[in-house]
Amino acid sequence: MPYHTFKCSECIPERAMHAVVKGPGEDLTSCLPLGYLNTIPGTISERGCAFCGAKHVIGAPMKDVIHLCHGPVGCTYDTWHTKRYISDNDNNQLKYAWATDVKEKNVVFGAEKLLKKTIIDTFKAQPHLKRMTIYQTCATALIGDDMDAVAREVMEELGDVDIFVCNAPGFGGPSQSGGHHKINIAWVDQKVGTKEPKIESDYVINYVGDYNIQGDAEIMCDYFHRMGIQVLSTFTGNSTFDELATMHRAHLNVLECARSAEYICNELRVRYGIPRLDIDGFGFDLLNESLMKVAMFFGLEEKAQKIIDEENARWRPELDWYARRLKGKRICLWPGGSKLWHWAHVIEEEMGVKVVSVYSKFGHQGDFEKGVARCSEGALAIDDPNELEALEAMEELKPDIILTGMRPGEVAKKIRIPYLNIHAYHNGPYKGYEGWVRLARDLYNAIYSPMYQLAAIDISKDEIPLERGFRSRRMISDVTLSPEEANVEGEHPYTGEYDNVTRLRTKVYPELEAQRAKHQEAAEEVLVPAK
Amino acid sequence: MDETMKEKIEILADYIMHRCLWQFHSRAWDRERQNAQILGVAKQLLLGEEPDLSTPELKCYWLDGFHLAKGFRQRFDWVNQMSKEELATLMDGLKERVDYLTIHGSLNKELTVAAY
Ligand code: SF4
Repeated sequence: MPYHTFKCSECIPERAMHAVVKGPGEDLTSCLPLGYLNTIPGTISERGCAFCGAKHVIGAPMKDVIHLCHGPVGCTYDTWHTKRYISDNDNNQLKYAWATDVKEKNVVFGAEKLLKKTIIDTFKAQPHLKRMTIYQTCATALIGDDMDAVAREVMEELGDVDIFVCNAPGFGGPSQSGGHHKINIAWVDQKVGTKEPKIESDYVINYVGDYNIQGDAEIMCDYFHRMGIQVLSTFTGNSTFDELATMHRAHLNVLECARSAEYICNELRVRYGIPRLDIDGFGFDLLNESLMKVAMFFGLEEKAQKIIDEENARWRPELDWYARRLKGKRICLWPGGSKLWHWAHVIEEEMGVKVVSVYSKFGHQGDFEKGVARCSEGALAIDDPNELEALEAMEELKPDIILTGMRPGEVAKKIRIPYLNIHAYHNGPYKGYEGWVRLARDLYNAIYSPMYQLAAIDISKDEIPLERGFRSRRMISDVTLSPEEANVEGEHPYTGEYDNVTRLRTKVYPELEAQRAKHQEAAEEVLVPAK
Repeated sequence: MDETMKEKIEILADYIMHRCLWQFHSRAWDRERQNAQILGVAKQLLLGEEPDLSTPELKCYWLDGFHLAKGFRQRFDWVNQMSKEELATLMDGLKERVDYLTIHGSLNKELTVAAY
């Protein structure tokens, strides 16, 4: 068995099977770490809790909803909507976080009255919002508050509001993934099927498992709309409460992040017969194929091919410019969940980098199966690493950059390794063709940052090269390229706009308009039957 | 089965592992269904047969099966040189191998959890 033991964890024998190295000839029947198990006491795990997974990851991107935590204010502070899941309604969901602010006296005497009062006060404070999610936390779950009953009471009293109850307290699973699971199932149980959508196209999908980080979901919806496909809901980025209640009417569920949202796709398949199609929205080659698959389901191959041709022609030369300069760079791909497998292979293929390690703090073994299958030989796969293990891995593997979230990223910086935020993104969106180039651009900028070159010098002992002046990125990156390689005709750095998302919100889609007109006409014919 | 056939199966299994996601649904019963349906469609297409597209579910399997067969033909020219009998043996062996990697030989302890 190819298990890897960290020196810093020799004293914790339970960690023995949580890291593997994919050696020559290894496959999934011999090389897979344990995953999604209860945190081992003493490892100082950095996982999020199940409440965080339910609220911060999946619930909070819903854009027209009051997100109210029923618990101590600390739980709310820990999930303060910091993940840049933007929306087209002026980012309502990023601006406000609500809490019942449960105190000791409520733990003793109960907090249901407090919950009811806070719900009503909150609706009064934001009278334009009529939808709310209330999230259970550890304390209020332990005292046994009946949130469902309170929600029903308020809905009856106020009449025009709809409340979703999410019972995923922090202890509801080994990690944030337990909360993903609970909120998926709660949503399909409580809300899916309670609203009916206006069907405006012959081609109707849900785009599932995308939280619109810096506009990711809007980029993908642009491709779908260009084909004339109606996206009933995006689960959950940039979607409204009511859109998500109509998921049962889609013809196809297009699933991006299976880790956080496969549950709802599985349930929709079993309960409503909607097929589940797993796709990759990252990487040119995989995205070409993914768009074509969605199109073929509806017989829209020509429309998809047009998009694929246009996008590849526009962005390929820019990707190639970066790939030439990123070739051979060693990266640690340490995301939360799905990028582990979405990127593991295609980033090597298309950007020329080498993935030397993959990790996830909350991934299941199924995620590691995908990640280990897709990464190349020699990669170190780690489940739920703590800070010391991550430091040891960085010291051993000597990566050129770490792709991870903010907390481990800041640790990497301290040992002079640049990091790219792939949770909330640096300069995303990273999805789509242009997004993939933006990722390559951010990787290039970080790896060749002149500041990092200077920071690597230890002024207490290293010699300072006084004879040469400031060196720009280009001077550093092109040093190993021949003049021909450095100046390939047509290849150049990124030329897109700073903001490539906002303009999509007012874009007109002729194919979708034609579908709308057709459905409108059909609806009018039903209202006024022809004589 | 001869050694070259085994090698070819290994190459195609490796292609699936690096490129596809359909074989990694979360439970054993899903994986059995996915593997049988999608590899079944790919086999039919390689043998020149018409897959059944009469329901949305079957159509969805066809999307993955179609791209798999297309990828095999584009990337591995030897697939285009094989007879129908050889292709049938190849695809049956591939199904067995993918089932082993993702179900029967899998180290994933969650495959048999009763609910999603
Ligand atoms: S573990 Fe419990 S107390 Fe801590 S943040 Fe999560 S819900 Fe709140």
